[in-house]
Amino acid sequence: MKKIFLITAVLFSVAVQAQVTKVSLQASGLTCSMCSNSINKSLQSLDYVEKVMSDIKTSTFNISFKPGASVNFDQLKKKVEDAGFFVANLKAVIQFNDLVIEKDNHYNVAGMNLHFLNASGQKLNGEQTISVVDKGYVSAKIFKKNNSFTNMECYKTGVVGTCCKKTGLAEGSRIFHVTI
Amino acid sequence: MKLLLSTLMLLFSIGSKAQELYVYTDPASNLPAKSLGFRLTNNLAHIKNTDKYRFATIPEIMIGISKKFMLKADAAISNMSGSTKLNGGSLYAKYRFFSTDDVQSHFRMAAYMRGSISNLHIHQPAIDLLLMNSGVETGLIATQLIKRIALSASLSHLYAADNTGGKKFLYGNSSRHALAYTISAGRLMLPKEYTSYNQTNVNLMMELLGQTNLNTGKTFIDIAPSVQFIIQSRMRVDVGYRFAIANNLPRTSENGALLRLEYNIFNAF
Repeated sequence: MKKIFLITAVLFSVAVQAQVTKVSLQASGLTCSMCSNSINKSLQSLDYVEKVMSDIKTSTFNISFKPGASVNFDQLKKKVEDAGFFVANLKAVIQFNDLVIEKDNHYNVAGMNLHFLNASGQKLNGEQTISVVDKGYVSAKIFKKNNSFTNMECYKTGVVGTCCKKTGLAEGSRIFHVTI
Repeated sequence: MKLLLSTLMLLFSIGSKAQELYVYTDPASNLPAKSLGFRLTNNLAHIKNTDKYRFATIPEIMIGISKKFMLKADAAISNMSGSTKLNGGSLYAKYRFFSTDDVQSHFRMAAYMRGSISNLHIHQPAIDLLLMNSGVETGLIATQLIKRIALSASLSHLYAADNTGGKKFLYGNSSRHALAYTISAGRLMLPKEYTSYNQTNVNLMMELLGQTNLNTGKTFIDIAPSVQFIIQSRMRVDVGYRFAIANNLPRTSENGALLRLEYNIFNAF
C-alpha cells in the first residue's frame, strides 16, 4: 500500500511539476519581415505566452511562457498557420522530474500526452529539450524517416488508437510524438 | 520583352531574398487570419490626346477571415467625370487552395473573384475593373518562392457589364470578355541583414501586366517597375510606374504613376 501511495505521489508530482518553459519554433515559407511580424503578433495573442523573441533572418521564434501556463503545441502551430505559414520544426524545453521513458509508451507531461519515439528506458530529470515530430511539425521527408522508430498507428494519426489503448488513454485524445 | 528579361536577370543575379508583396498584382498568399489592412492607392496618368491627367484615389480595406480566405473592398474616386467624385468600387475575395512550404521555398495557388461597379461613361474597349468598368473578374494565381526568386503569375477572365446609370459598353457584346495575365517578380534590397522589425525594408518589383480581348484579339502589355518600403514591419509605401510595351487595345490613358500607402493591423479581431 505504501508503495502504491509512493508511486502515485511520484506520478502526481511529475504531472504537476513538469512544465514547458520554452519553445523554439522555426516557421517555413517566408522571407519578409512583415510576414515574420505577422507570426510574431499571432503567437503573442495566446494568453499564456509571456514573450516572443524573433530571429527574422532564420524565421525562428523563441517563446517563453507565463508561470504555470499549460502550453499546447497544436495551439502554437495553429497560430503560425493562421498567419499564413507553416511550422518547419518545434523544440520545447521541459522541466522533468525523474521520468523513466520506455519505448512505445505514453506519458502525460505538462498536460500533454507524449510518445517518445527514441525512448530506451532513460531517466529524464531537470530541463530537457524535446523535438515534436508529428505531421505538420517537420518536413514530409523527416516524417517518413521517423516512421522507422515505431510501428504504432498513433504516429501517423497523432491521436490515441487501438494501438495505445493499453496505456489507459481515451481513444481519440491527442498524442504528441517527440524525440529527445 | 528583352528589357523585362534582362531586368529580371539583374534583379536576381546579385542574390538576396525574394519578396512577393507585389504592387500591381496580388500573390497567392493571403493576409494573415484575423488581421486588417488599410490601403490608399493613388494613380496619376496622362489622358491621351489631351493636356489632362486622370487622377484616381482608391481607399481599400482588407480583411483576413481565415488563413485561406481574405476579402477586400474598395471605393474608386476620380476626376474622370469632370470633377472629383465617387465613381464606383469593388469587392474582392481570394481563397488559397493549395500550399506546400519548406524552410526556404513555397508554392501556393489561389482562386479569386472581383465584382466591380462604375458609374463612368465607357470610353475604351480595354476593361478596367478598378475604375472604368462594372463587371466581374475570376482568376487563378500561382506563386513560387525558391530561395532568392519569388515569381508569381496570374490568369483571369474579365467580363465587362454595362456601367450604372445606363452607360453602355459600346464595343459589342462579344468584346465584353477579355483574358488578363500577369507575371511578377520581387527582390529584397535592404536591409542586408535582418536584425529587428523596426528596420525599413526596401524591395524592388518588376511586373508585367497584360490583357487580350477574347473577341478582337487586341492586346496591351505593360511593364510596371516599382519600389516598396516596408516600415516597422506593418506599413507599406509603394511607388510605381507602368508603361506599355505592346499596345493595340485602346485605352484612354496608358503610362502612369502609382503611390500607395498601406497599414496592417495583426490580430485585429
